[in-house]
Amino acid sequence: MVYFINDIITGALIGLLYSLVAMGFVVIYRASKVFNFAQGELVIIGGFIVWFTTMQAGLSLWLSIPLSLVLAGLVGYAIERIFLTKLIGESVFSMVMVTVGLLILLRGLVLLVFGPAVRPFPIIFPLKPLFIGDMLIPMNLLMGGIITIVAAVGLSWFFNRTRSGLRMTAVAEDHVVASSMGISVKGSIAFAWVLGAILSTIGAMIFLSGKSLTFLASDIGFAALPVALFAGLESIGGLILAGVIIGIAQSLTTNYLDPLIGGSLGSVVPYIIMLAILLIRPTGLFGWRTIERV
Amino acid sequence: MDPSGIFPTSYRSDRRIIRTRWQVLALVLFMALLLLAPYLVSGRIIAILNMMMISAVIAVGLQICTGYAGQINLGQAAFMGVGAYTASILASKTGLTILLTIPLAGLSAALFGFLFGLTAARIKGFYLALTTIAAQFLFHFAVLNLPSTWMGGSNGITVPPAELFGLRFVGETAQFYMNFAVTAIMVAGAFGIVRSRFGRAFVAVRDDDVAAGIMGINVAATKANAFLIGAFYAGVGGALWAYLIRFVGVDQFTLFHSIFFVAMIIVGGMGSIVGALVGVFIIRIIQEIIATVGPNIADSVSFLGGDIVFAGMNVVLGGVIALFMILEPKGLMHRWNIMKSSYRIWPFPY
Repeated sequence: MVYFINDIITGALIGLLYSLVAMGFVVIYRASKVFNFAQGELVIIGGFIVWFTTMQAGLSLWLSIPLSLVLAGLVGYAIERIFLTKLIGESVFSMVMVTVGLLILLRGLVLLVFGPAVRPFPIIFPLKPLFIGDMLIPMNLLMGGIITIVAAVGLSWFFNRTRSGLRMTAVAEDHVVASSMGISVKGSIAFAWVLGAILSTIGAMIFLSGKSLTFLASDIGFAALPVALFAGLESIGGLILAGVIIGIAQSLTTNYLDPLIGGSLGSVVPYIIMLAILLIRPTGLFGWRTIERV
Repeated sequence: MDPSGIFPTSYRSDRRIIRTRWQVLALVLFMALLLLAPYLVSGRIIAILNMMMISAVIAVGLQICTGYAGQINLGQAAFMGVGAYTASILASKTGLTILLTIPLAGLSAALFGFLFGLTAARIKGFYLALTTIAAQFLFHFAVLNLPSTWMGGSNGITVPPAELFGLRFVGETAQFYMNFAVTAIMVAGAFGIVRSRFGRAFVAVRDDDVAAGIMGINVAATKANAFLIGAFYAGVGGALWAYLIRFVGVDQFTLFHSIFFVAMIIVGGMGSIVGALVGVFIIRIIQEIIATVGPNIADSVSFLGGDIVFAGMNVVLGGVIALFMILEPKGLMHRWNIMKSSYRIWPFPY
């Protein structure tokens, strides 16, 4: 029983990590209507920035974390400036195709610059897990979960309650209408990418803390994708619930179903849940319902 | 599009795919040149041509699905994989001829693609594109986790040579003619599909699915059909691939390969069958150059090792996709058409 509860808690915390990475998808979608396929690559770039500032440049954590976040924001801004600004006014299809191109471009660049070698990642959160009775909870996931919830509540408030957040929401509804209302589509998209890159870097810190870093870690982007769709691409608060559900489902499948069938069903469970929810409720749990009759 | 002043005078001439005598001549010359290729060029080029023809089948399918019907498809490599696995299982276990294995490979891939296309009944827009990524992951999962006697698991399957009426296609030249025949049939079929009522329905749905629905087109069924046809082409291409490589493994059909196919149709031009062929030609040449040059660079920059080809391929193709989307979103065929029409009306600007 204790193990069962422990699995549920660990699963929920991993789910929250997925939520944080998925938040990158949602923030970029919420402010620009672009679905960013290259989210996992942003995570890995964030990871390499953190690795560079701590392990390579030898800065202390207190200095390197803020610096990494600033650098990640700059990377996000640069990507937006080079690739996406020029496409404002083109179809959303073009923008999404550019992010598909970015997915393999960034993957290749990371490989060319950093190589396939395995690197140690700094220990940002204490390695010692938290013991509650017989239960064991990894510290990085626990702290990460708290960060995720704080970030979700904060960003949710920002996008739904503040003036600048609502402006970006208008951009996500329709680029042309938004710009004819005097809202800067450019600024909104730039902000979204900076924020998306920063969130990805925080995700990388939680995910990789004390582990090793290779370019393969970007797979977390595709692990987080079902969470974003499950919650609905427009909802930031909903990510928490979606992440927790998917995390628990995955953890239980991995621990109880996989030994029975002798496969790794756990890795595709998020996708099966995603397909099911899309068929039952195409907008996800909390996505916007656009009224359109055909 | 014909220039103004030239218009058909009979239904027959209006329905023609090849419209002028020069086009007939060009096509015949092109086909003759391809048919004679094994006698004209070296084995290495034949090997490249084989790859190009197989990619052409798959890219033409993707062109119908993405370029004509407007459905973003990031699972084309998975559909290709389904075809490749079907063909290799049939060939290695039952020893059927290619007359059966290749169509069956196409059909099984089409069924797999149709399943994901069916979700179009409920899901619209982007979300539909995302289910194709799910197809990619589910395919990998199925191959790696089903009992290894079924699909070979991570070991892959060795494929016997292609066989037709006791004839065995062994060696680059024999395979070249087999690939040539299948590719010619598939590409000719694609020209037929895109101007049939299905093809026109695809274009209508791509341009505006609400308007298409109002005109009486069943939008969901059209999208599902687009996936069905696209996946059928991928399956046939996958079968050819299995016969060419004589081995299938799950690593040959990843998301990256799907994106490479997307790059082909973006470079060639969305919504043009010839564009897909041009794109295949260009991207395959780029890949060939990187694969040739890469190892030489790897010798001088040793820390990268064997990954440089993969990395370089990703950087170049990712860059190509982004550049084309920014600078020439309609692809090279569009540029070619502009050149053609400005040549025709020279010296007048329009």
